[in-house]
Amino acid sequence: MSPVVFYLCVGAGLWVAGLHGLMVVRHPLRRILAINIMGSGVFMVMVALANRGTTVDPVLQALVVTGLVVAVSATAFALRLARAVLSLSPPPRSAKPHTIKPRPTQPHPTKPRPTRDSPIRNSPP
Amino acid sequence: MAWTTALPLAIVLSSLVPGLLIFALREDQHWQRTALNLAGVFTKLLLVALMLYGVSRGLVFHFSLPFLPDSELVFQGDALSLQFVGLSSLLWLATTIYAIGYLEDSPLRSRFFGYFSLCVSATVGLALAGNLVTFLLFYELLTLATFPLVVHRGTPEALRAGRVYLAYTLGGGTLLLMGVALLHSLTGSPDFMPGGYLAPLVESHPASLVMAFALLILGLGVKAALIPLHGWLPQAMVAPAPVSALLHAVAVVKAGAFGILRVVYDVYGIEPVQALYLDQPLLWLAASTIIYGSLKAMQQQDIKKRLAYSTVSQVSYITLGVALIGPLAAIGALVHLVHQGLMKVTLFFCAGNFAETLGVHRIQEMNGIGRRMPLTMAAFTIAALGMIGAPPIAGFISKWYLGLGALQVDHAWVLAVLVASGLLNAVYFLPLIYRGWFAQPPDQWHHENRRWKKTRPGWRETHWMLLVPTLFTALLSLLAGIFAGTDISPLAWARLIVAREFGA
Amino acid sequence: MNLALISLALPLVTALLLMLFRSRGWVWVALASLLSLVSAAGALYEVVGGGRQLLYLGGWDSALAIRFQLTPVSGLLLAFTALIHLLVAIYAARSHHSQTRDSDYWPLSCLLHGSLAALWLSVDLFNWYVTLELLGLVAVAMITLAGPKAYGAALNYLTLSLGASLFYLLGVALMYGRYGVLDVLLLVELVEADNSTRTAMILMSLGLMLKAALWPLHQWLPAAHASAPTAVSALLSALVVKGPLFILWLLWSQVAPRELAAQAGPILAMAGILALVAGGWAALRTPYIKTLVAYSTVAQLGYALLALGLLLHWQIAELHVALWLFVLAHGLAKVSMFLAAGEMQATLGSRRVDSLKGATQTMPVAMFAFAVAGGSLIGLPPSGGFLAKWVLLQPLFLEPRHWPWAFGVMLGTLVTAAYVFRVVALAFDRARPMRPDYHPDPFAQWLAMLPALLVWSMALISEPLILWLTGVTD
Repeated sequence: MSPVVFYLCVGAGLWVAGLHGLMVVRHPLRRILAINIMGSGVFMVMVALANRGTTVDPVLQALVVTGLVVAVSATAFALRLARAVLSLSPPPRSAKPHTIKPRPTQPHPTKPRPTRDSPIRNSPP
Repeated sequence: MAWTTALPLAIVLSSLVPGLLIFALREDQHWQRTALNLAGVFTKLLLVALMLYGVSRGLVFHFSLPFLPDSELVFQGDALSLQFVGLSSLLWLATTIYAIGYLEDSPLRSRFFGYFSLCVSATVGLALAGNLVTFLLFYELLTLATFPLVVHRGTPEALRAGRVYLAYTLGGGTLLLMGVALLHSLTGSPDFMPGGYLAPLVESHPASLVMAFALLILGLGVKAALIPLHGWLPQAMVAPAPVSALLHAVAVVKAGAFGILRVVYDVYGIEPVQALYLDQPLLWLAASTIIYGSLKAMQQQDIKKRLAYSTVSQVSYITLGVALIGPLAAIGALVHLVHQGLMKVTLFFCAGNFAETLGVHRIQEMNGIGRRMPLTMAAFTIAALGMIGAPPIAGFISKWYLGLGALQVDHAWVLAVLVASGLLNAVYFLPLIYRGWFAQPPDQWHHENRRWKKTRPGWRETHWMLLVPTLFTALLSLLAGIFAGTDISPLAWARLIVAREFGA
Repeated sequence: MNLALISLALPLVTALLLMLFRSRGWVWVALASLLSLVSAAGALYEVVGGGRQLLYLGGWDSALAIRFQLTPVSGLLLAFTALIHLLVAIYAARSHHSQTRDSDYWPLSCLLHGSLAALWLSVDLFNWYVTLELLGLVAVAMITLAGPKAYGAALNYLTLSLGASLFYLLGVALMYGRYGVLDVLLLVELVEADNSTRTAMILMSLGLMLKAALWPLHQWLPAAHASAPTAVSALLSALVVKGPLFILWLLWSQVAPRELAAQAGPILAMAGILALVAGGWAALRTPYIKTLVAYSTVAQLGYALLALGLLLHWQIAELHVALWLFVLAHGLAKVSMFLAAGEMQATLGSRRVDSLKGATQTMPVAMFAFAVAGGSLIGLPPSGGFLAKWVLLQPLFLEPRHWPWAFGVMLGTLVTAAYVFRVVALAFDRARPMRPDYHPDPFAQWLAMLPALLVWSMALISEPLILWLTGVTD
């Protein structure tokens, strides 16, 4: 099997794995992870396709770079939003029970951060 | 713009503009509202009279505006539209005065009269429509304008009736849209033409024409109260009496019947209808509706419900006349449009008078009401006898022509249906007349209206604004029959239409 | 082309400046969208008279460059976007019940406008990916302006939207791997009906259908649109879901080979009918006002799907016109409906449909706006919705074997009428009307009426509209 085909299959496999995670898993952080895995799968497909000819195709490499930038910003936003959602309600229980007991950690001193974006509402929603 | 182009538009605007202005008035501005109402009414009557004069002289009134691709918004003042426009305008005058009196001190009058005027504008627009697309537009606008009138009282019963009304009329409107779109895809939307414009397509597209006819008749049949699409009409009786009068004598049911007239005479033409065997099903439908309506009317104990089923039955006379393809039947159908309007509006006015003055809603409560309200009862008698078909009231004339028309096309069974219907009409109207005049009145009326000063039998028996329109329309019903032979009667106009449309 | 670029650049620059100066001045936004509207109108005038215009970004030549294309449809959409943005911006600024006046709505809405404008002008598969991502992120950010109660719906939308983008991106990658070009105009000549193309088209379509909330991938929309602030809901339903629809339309009607398109057509058309019925049924049963309006969006997009599906199945040119007429009429009507619903919800103090009892007395203007907008959605003449339905029905009636689809349209009309009149009939219930909890805001209500009146007057300009849209497939 040529390297291109191999990496195409791996990329496709990652994509499918990510998709499976997105459809089945409920916990927000895990879904974001699943999306990132899907993204990695697509990027791997692109990189593999870039090598399909005799010379490396720079367009696909440019696409991957752009895609990475988009993925990073989207993930950042998604993480921030997921944190906000999780702080409102406890996370859903995962399918498998935890086998690792959480280590007791030092409590972090939390500074109240000033928020700039609290909308002033004139009427109750 | 020549006056012949502007006049149809002006007739529609003469009630639309006052209606829109009335919406902006506050509740307490009675005088402005009454002034706007009456100004609109009289302007419209004047313009209609002008158009009548013009059409009888052979002038052409045509207004068009670009609208959809391949079809314009067209207003056309021909003899048939004027039949309906004249009836609407005249009865609008009577109903407006009646409504002003009926709703005195009621809440939300600005809204009521605003929608009232919109309803009349939609009716007149529909009457003056020059092609199917314009007709469809005003048909739907009529549904929208009448819904707030039906639910005006805002009670749960009114809302339920309103929902039923909407379900039927919007469904009918959708079917009509389908039919119009189907025909448009075949031929575009040319103006209504006496003798129809679909004759060239009978050979090439019979299936499409039959499907379109079915869709059109079903869509129009909802408003024209053909069975089994009539269910909304008895329910809509919860509306105030002026609304029932206007809707069920003038605007909505006549719009449906008028539409059927237009479709058969000016879109399809009588030869294509016969060639496609479409007249027989229509005839059977009309005949069954006539008998069914009369049978149901006999079972009703509420006066307005009885009148509602009577409307179901009577409006199908028009459909019957149309389906009996023949000039005499056509004359009968066209003249019944006017006569039934006059008589039915009188009956509804009387029912409203009884309800408002003495709280009489049911037939058993009508005993001896003629002693207390003789003028109203006299009007009721005239109209009821006209419905039965007694000469010399107008109803007799239309039935006579329908009967002759049935014989002219060798459908003697239709004559039997007409006779049977006349007998059934007698069965459900004569007892009311008997009770009203000859039965013993109760010691105390159900609920005497304390709003007005002491009422006495005769000219003071009820509010003058409720009495005068009633007598006016009753008188017209009588005169239309007596003077049917003259040149200024609805019958003469119907003859004119048939002569022009059939070339016969 | 310059005018179109100005129309694109103005909101982008405004957004960047607003973020730079930490400003929340609505005046700048209104001004920018007004000028953008004017330049879009100018661009439309140019392209209608002069024909399609192309621009190679950066001056690179054809194989490498990203192209912008201006057609009558994209010109119309540019103007439409600017108009909606302007209307909603005025509402967000001036309504007493606006939740977004002193928030980051302003730069975000300009970003939304800018990215959508870039989408309309693009003809490059990857450029579309970028604009779709921009659009999605901005839309989610705007939903979160409503506060914590909207976070859950926003997160759900975000994750699904990102997943859908990755479907689309994989499809783009496969397309490029097969043909070596990303430019749609070049692809049109190269494309053939083989398995990799079919796979790529399916992947791209699934991603786009989810982003456009086309049945059955619409589940995220009602929660997201209903929990957003009123102005944001209006923008989302009227504009954001139309972007992916545009891409879907261009891909299938131009890029996809005929055989593939003819196979996909009936599936899409059937999905359209099901969207109408399922969306309408859900709208009838939901107890919340804004959720009702959101399900109405799902249902109305069914008309667009139906037009698209039949267009591909039978290759009839008029259906392009019907599709875009639906989009325009729906956009205007939906803005009006959401603004009216938002006003009523805020004034009456309840989110439930039952609270609208007697609203014709307590809030006549807003309820009338809702009813008029609903009338266009139902397709009552002479509204824009009627015009769209009319143009859709003509080819359906021409041949008897097409009639079943016409009856599907009829079913959709009846279901739409049912849920619109669910609200309107309730509003006439005067027995126990709901008294307003807060002061009604007349200006905002009249503002809600404005798009409804505009959509009803669309029929007056039906001839030029249809003429512009007919030159679409050149």
